[in-house]
Amino acid sequence: MEEIFKIIGISLLTTIAVLVVKPTKPEIALVLGVAGSVIVFFYIVDLLEEVFGLFEYVMQATNLDSDIFILLIKIIGVGYITEFSANICGDSGNSAMASKILLAGKLVIFVMAIPIITSLIELIVSIMP
Amino acid sequence: MDIEIILKIAGIGILVAVVSQVLKQAGKEEIATLVTLSGLVIVLVMVVDLISELFNMVGNLFYLF
Repeated sequence: MEEIFKIIGISLLTTIAVLVVKPTKPEIALVLGVAGSVIVFFYIVDLLEEVFGLFEYVMQATNLDSDIFILLIKIIGVGYITEFSANICGDSGNSAMASKILLAGKLVIFVMAIPIITSLIELIVSIMP
Repeated sequence: MDIEIILKIAGIGILVAVVSQVLKQAGKEEIATLVTLSGLVIVLVMVVDLISELFNMVGNLFYLF
């Protein structure tokens, strides 16, 4: 529970450090922002593990085929990494690169979801008289 | 704790800014740019380790590999 305070402290400290370094050395300020967000992610990871523990429990309880849940978790991972790097590029002012990364992330997620879409369509066709 | 890496990078940034300013006053423009570049390289090396650790952790956590 108290991790949220640690996370807030670190992100405020990073923001202040970025503002201190930005006028003279903008490139080091960008790298500082990246380092700060990576450190905040390390705190979030163990919270994420508890969430995925719930996923496993739901998988076993409903004994659905687990590859759909695995695919869901993969899509969440790709979404997180894409949004992480798009925000970093956006922060540094390079919004063109940020939109390219977002586009690529959407395409990757769509490609990963294709098997689900095909199985859904087959299901619908089989149901129809 | 992890904040020491943030403070380390900020310290390097400020130090490089001051040193390059002093070198510019002393008339050594080219050395000032070299100092700026070396500061950036040091900071990048430190952050590259963090980013590779991040990608490995995300890969394992989200079964991406």
